[in-house]
Amino acid sequence: MTAPRWPLIYAVTAAIAVAILAALVAVAPRADGRIDWTAQMVDGGWMAWTLPIALFFYTIACLLVLFTLLAIHFPETPRTGILRIETTRGDRLFISLLGSAFLSLAWLAAFGAPLTYALILCLAYAAAVFRWV
Amino acid sequence: MDKTQNNRAWFLVLPVLVLVAFSAVVPLMTVVNYAFNDTFGQNRFFWNGLGWFQDMLASERVHGALGRQVLFSAIILTIEVPLGIFVALNMPKNGFWSSFCLVLMALPLLIPFNVVGTIWQIFGRVDIGLLGHSLAALGIDYNYTNDALDAWLTIIVMDVWHWTSLVALLCYAGLQSIPQAYYQAARIDQASRWSIFRYIELPKMAGVLLIAVLLRFMDSFMIYTEPFVLTGGGPGNSTTFLSIDLVKMAVGQFDLGPAAAFSLMYFLVILLVSWVFYTVMTTLDRQEGK
Repeated sequence: MTAPRWPLIYAVTAAIAVAILAALVAVAPRADGRIDWTAQMVDGGWMAWTLPIALFFYTIACLLVLFTLLAIHFPETPRTGILRIETTRGDRLFISLLGSAFLSLAWLAAFGAPLTYALILCLAYAAAVFRWV
Repeated sequence: MDKTQNNRAWFLVLPVLVLVAFSAVVPLMTVVNYAFNDTFGQNRFFWNGLGWFQDMLASERVHGALGRQVLFSAIILTIEVPLGIFVALNMPKNGFWSSFCLVLMALPLLIPFNVVGTIWQIFGRVDIGLLGHSLAALGIDYNYTNDALDAWLTIIVMDVWHWTSLVALLCYAGLQSIPQAYYQAARIDQASRWSIFRYIELPKMAGVLLIAVLLRFMDSFMIYTEPFVLTGGGPGNSTTFLSIDLVKMAVGQFDLGPAAAFSLMYFLVILLVSWVFYTVMTTLDRQEGK
């Protein structure tokens, strides 16, 4: 097997990701020439897609692809953190995402919408998980 | 050992991935979408933002169902785990009766959930059921269809009847793996029955016991069929657990938005517990492997 050309692989993946993002924005419904964030993306309401949720799943998908590539490029070595369980990079991503979901719900129950500050809290939490867990 | 490393083998996973996408990922995405929209049917949706989540987080009804669910799981665990250990300790260790007990104990586990519900539904009826009729003959005022406490007792006894065997069988397997030398050493030291249990049997059972507790927690937390068949969530809402409430909301009232938000939160809890379950099991396996 020839040595993989990593810069090329990353570039192609990034290009595909950007293309999908551009396609999402292109098909986003518009009102008065601006993006209508809350309108249905598919006529007839198939799966009830809206742009914010589409971007949410897009972000998750990109994270999964990125971490898969990273796991192949730099093989994961499990380590034991403050939870006293062995975790790999992928495990820490999962813990970050699951914990963020609970943090957002807790924020919603305590302070209500919007979740802007909750997002900052989640990012801080994710950083802490990647550093110490 | 020389193993061929070929990452292209991962492409063989693709068919399963497509299958899972259609059976799980796409439906789950739809649920997420529905949770952020309102609909009056006919596939017309209107953006509702975080509204349903806020409603569900503040909903008395969801709190009630969650409270009953937690109480149910707690009662189930406090009865089934000690009872299972007790049964396992008193089962014959070898010979004909050991096999006989094992088969007998496995029987309830093999009965489909809705059949278990039907069995107890009839068993508990005052007019024709053996249990209900006998209790009535003894002068006990028992009626699971209109008394909340009776309904709870019936569901709990049903679940204990159905699932204690699982805890017992797991513990039995744990006990069988203890070498006789431990017991001999204990006899030499004149250890009491309690110390043998506390310092030999319990530590050796800890692994399987943990699995039993997690399994029973998960199953009881997601219980639907048996109480649905037995009481349908009644009388009133007294035995409406999370899954029963969810189905009422989604299919009964067709409140897709709130039900989607509710089910996502339910899903997150189950996902968290499953993750803990998985982590504990793999960590245990690794420790045993060392």
